[in-house]
Amino acid sequence: MNYVATIGSREVKISVEDLGGSNYKVSIDGVERVVDAQMVATRLWSVLCGNASFEVDVTRLPGMGEEFEVLINGDCHKFSLMNEQRKAMIRAGGKGAAGKAMITSPMPGKVVKLLVEVGQEVRADQGVVVVEAMKMENELKTALAGKVKETFVEEGDIVEAGAKLLLVE
Amino acid sequence: MFDKILIANRGEIAVRVLRACKEMGIRTVGVFSEVDRKALHTRYAEEAYCIGPAPARESYLDIDKVIAVARKSGAQAIHPGYGFLAENPLFADRCEKEGIKLIGPSAYAMRTMGSKTLARKTVQAAGVPVVPGTVEPISTEEEVIRAAKTIGFPVMLKATAGGGGKGLRLVREEPELRSALRMAKSEAKSAFSDDSVYVEKYIENPRHVEIQILGDRHGNHVHLGERECSIQRRHQKVIEESPSVIVTPEMREAMGKVAIEAARAVAYEGAGTCEFLVDTHRDFFFLEMNTRLQVEHPVTEMVTGIDIVKEQIRVAAGEKLSIRQEDVKQTGHAIECRVYAEDPERNFIPCPGRITSLRVPGGPGVRDDSGVYAGFEIPIYYDPIISKLVAWGKDRAEAIGRMKRALAVYVVTGVKTTVPFHIRVMKNRHFIEGNFDTDFIDNVFFREEEARQLANEEVALCTAAIQEHIEERRRAVSRNPGEATGPVSMWKYAARPGIPKIGQVGR
Repeated sequence: MNYVATIGSREVKISVEDLGGSNYKVSIDGVERVVDAQMVATRLWSVLCGNASFEVDVTRLPGMGEEFEVLINGDCHKFSLMNEQRKAMIRAGGKGAAGKAMITSPMPGKVVKLLVEVGQEVRADQGVVVVEAMKMENELKTALAGKVKETFVEEGDIVEAGAKLLLVE
Repeated sequence: MFDKILIANRGEIAVRVLRACKEMGIRTVGVFSEVDRKALHTRYAEEAYCIGPAPARESYLDIDKVIAVARKSGAQAIHPGYGFLAENPLFADRCEKEGIKLIGPSAYAMRTMGSKTLARKTVQAAGVPVVPGTVEPISTEEEVIRAAKTIGFPVMLKATAGGGGKGLRLVREEPELRSALRMAKSEAKSAFSDDSVYVEKYIENPRHVEIQILGDRHGNHVHLGERECSIQRRHQKVIEESPSVIVTPEMREAMGKVAIEAARAVAYEGAGTCEFLVDTHRDFFFLEMNTRLQVEHPVTEMVTGIDIVKEQIRVAAGEKLSIRQEDVKQTGHAIECRVYAEDPERNFIPCPGRITSLRVPGGPGVRDDSGVYAGFEIPIYYDPIISKLVAWGKDRAEAIGRMKRALAVYVVTGVKTTVPFHIRVMKNRHFIEGNFDTDFIDNVFFREEEARQLANEEVALCTAAIQEHIEERRRAVSRNPGEATGPVSMWKYAARPGIPKIGQVGR
């Protein structure tokens, strides 16, 4: 299977091939290596690259994007990783989901305040909803300027991580 | 000695106090809110009582409910831990009225030290050096401006009822003063319902050093040396150590002496902490006294060998302190990292949720004071502390080495934690050299981190790609589950063996 990872503005081509058991042949930008990867707990991998041993904590962020956060001994690597075909499809399909921004809750908590209402014009970076978790109020912003199309929660609602809060179009 | 103690707290500190009680053979009573039925402290206590719904003000902060449980269970004393009711003089008054011993100082000591201006006045009278500033809370703009000019810029505006970094404003020059005052007042009003402020000289590049003291009701007071707490993020301590690299034996003795004077000024009983700011000339100034057990007490325990919680319990029972000043010796070095359920990659946003797996470090010199377990759901209602990880070594370098290796194997999955942040601090050159002040994390560390090249990128990419590959295969299988669905159901096929299975058509 072929993938494209995007790290900042860099693109990296990765392919993964099963070698049986927990062994995989992984090539990154044409450089091949054999990797023994065992999942030892939820999202936690014991990885042998050759004989170099690592513990790798892989988080795939909730939501539609293939965004990853990978933790190795205190270093957090952030990148997106997508199947090559899927990536090509999205490119060909043009802007598809562009022009829309779904605001989701980054953590479980309580919706304290909706700062906007349906139909309201918003600027990019404007605070739109306040979610409280652990005694802290967090103002969530919209990355996109536009109009509030729909709200999915009411003030006082308890929400899960990744829950849809509102849609800006 | 008490037969039974109620612990009016939750999480790691409730567990810490439970441990001391159990070691002393004292029976324990726990209290829990509805979301804490499965919390570790509920499970550890020998008796546990539900005291109401999740919000703290309806459970852990409800004095009537806590007192009712003490009555019902026959507990003779209450340990409040830190936070919640720990520094509430009304609770202290109530315990006294009910004839239940509160493990801590008197309501009078709490009231005096709880008001920053009254505390300043009291300790100043006892000969303790304080940061130059106003002693009385002031309210009018003119008074604040006059005071600031007298003290000399830069000055700090502080909320009288303040704490936790709220209601603080640094003013470098006079023109900034009016708007800073307005902001400090409104912040103080909303955080503490009290908008009075006072003005203090701003100490440049200060370090935060505090002295642990213990006192009994027989007039004995000792200090257990210092803790350095300059590693703070937005005025909140995150890493503490003992001893401090900047404190000399002479300075320790002088600071210990004034801390004891401050404690004597309010006839202090139990464990307390005098916080000081230390300037670049190593002059120290009293900041405030905390009339409770501190989160960071373990570093002092590790270097002195004194169990502070047990001493608290003993003196509360009327015993004399088990140690004299000459018995107190600091051996080696200890560091504590506060592990929070917060996401360091998202500006330390709280991360409640279920801990799916947990591996706690062990080995020589490592202590983990935790309040969670694998499978526990961290509630959204309380402080997101998971544990206090403490490492002891014969010297600072060994303590840092141990902390680094302990953090590297500390695994918490399901929620994000501050472990990666602590690993980075332990590797930071300024931290290793002991060269930092209270603004180090916010002003120096994060800037250096941004510019840093990450290690092992290819391992990260490989693992994510393998995980995605396995996921896609799994999804593909569930999309084409073979004979279970489709035009010909399994049941039909079983009943009529003659028809071809899906995928066999045309063969």
